[in-house]
Amino acid sequence: MTAFWNVTLALLEGFGSTCLIFAATLVFAIPLGLLVTFGSMSRFRPLKWLMRTIVWVVRGTPLMLQLIAIFYGPALLFGIDGLDRVPAVIVAFVINYACYFSEIYRAGIEGVPRGQAEAGQVLGLKKSQVFFHITLIQLIKRIVPPMSNEIITLVKDTSLARIISVTEIILVAQEYTRQGLIWPLFYTGVFYLLFVGVLTLLFRYTEKKLEYIKI
Amino acid sequence: MEFLHVEGFRKQFAGTEVLKDINFDLPKGKILAIIGPSGGGKTTLLRCLNFLETPDEGKVFLDGELLSDAKATYSQKERREKQLKFGLVFQSFHLFPHLTAIENILLAPDLLAKDRVKEQFKERKKAAKGPARKALKKEEKQALKELSAENKRHAEELLGQVGLSEKRDSYPSQLSGGQQQRVAIARALALSPEVLCFDEPTSALDPELTGEVLKVIRALKGRTLIIVTHEMAFAREVADYVLFMTDGVIEERGTPEEVFLHPQKEKTKAFLKHMEEYHDE
Repeated sequence: MTAFWNVTLALLEGFGSTCLIFAATLVFAIPLGLLVTFGSMSRFRPLKWLMRTIVWVVRGTPLMLQLIAIFYGPALLFGIDGLDRVPAVIVAFVINYACYFSEIYRAGIEGVPRGQAEAGQVLGLKKSQVFFHITLIQLIKRIVPPMSNEIITLVKDTSLARIISVTEIILVAQEYTRQGLIWPLFYTGVFYLLFVGVLTLLFRYTEKKLEYIKI
Repeated sequence: MEFLHVEGFRKQFAGTEVLKDINFDLPKGKILAIIGPSGGGKTTLLRCLNFLETPDEGKVFLDGELLSDAKATYSQKERREKQLKFGLVFQSFHLFPHLTAIENILLAPDLLAKDRVKEQFKERKKAAKGPARKALKKEEKQALKELSAENKRHAEELLGQVGLSEKRDSYPSQLSGGQQQRVAIARALALSPEVLCFDEPTSALDPELTGEVLKVIRALKGRTLIIVTHEMAFAREVADYVLFMTDGVIEERGTPEEVFLHPQKEKTKAFLKHMEEYHDE
């Protein structure tokens, strides 16, 4: 029984890092994704192609490679000190997820009928007013289901942080495996399930809250 | 030159001329109906007047003054001010689905009031310091409160005017098509445009719902209106002037009697005959 508690406590500590990576990624990637969207939808061609190329590269290569590139890259290429482990993980995740989010946003923006913005325009509203008072909420309504998917994937993707030795929950469990204790590794699944369970309820609540908007 | 004077509108889309030298006049308080086959340029003309498209060439004069010239470039702000001279009611309403009927009407007037008050107080606030600045802030808040109360009163009055007072807090999805279009009309009226345009306001409606919308438009007599419509009987009844547009030109123009009863051009005759047959079916 004490073994169980000790393992639980150790895993919880690792889970703290998992949660930190998760939360930091969301906080930065959600707005950054919007900037990427605006860039990739820009009428200024060079910016549009630059953004689309970045999105292509980021979505086209494994997140694991990106982690390694960001953590070891500066030292290998330029011989300068890079970021610490945890910040490196967060930077890699934020860039990666911002790119995925940006495509969801783009689909959402393109899904809001053009007539909505035109109706705002003939009423004399500024572009920013049209976006914040008309488009945004309809966009949010459209993107909640695909964003839920992406955010749930993020919960599990955090386990990639162990590639550059950040002690998240899976890495803690693997330490036990090395000592011959297999069950903690499977036990981590419970943490993920609970976390995703709470998120699922949260997403369902959000969808319910937005149900009044019929589009 | 009449109240509204449109001069030399031309517009091309990908090499196709949609508007070919459109000229017309409309006195204040009169109703102009624009009829003609689909693809004849009617909608594009309304969109150009409402700054949703920029014509390649052409000028608009309002009340004797040059309002816009296709060759000139305007700042966003200038463009918005000019835009407010016109209102547009769309064929498919385009109500904001996340706002109730009253909120749909209030959104733009409230945002514009906010901008205007901010603008008014900006310079004075910059100059003021300390307690004077605080007093100004309070004054600004009060001014805004008064304006938004005024907007609300006006919006409620407009809802009553279109016969939807009891639907005040309904979302568009809870309204019939006819009711949605009536809210859209109230929304356009809330900004008191000099010229209100209707782009086939009943084309997206079931036949039994067109009557209620036409009734609301009929009650707007006395305002300057431009109505693009396929409802021939309605155009004949309410319009003071009629334009028949086809292939990007105004083929024929005159009073309803002239255009509907004594058309001169073959194309007009053919169109009216076609519409009659369509109506008889």
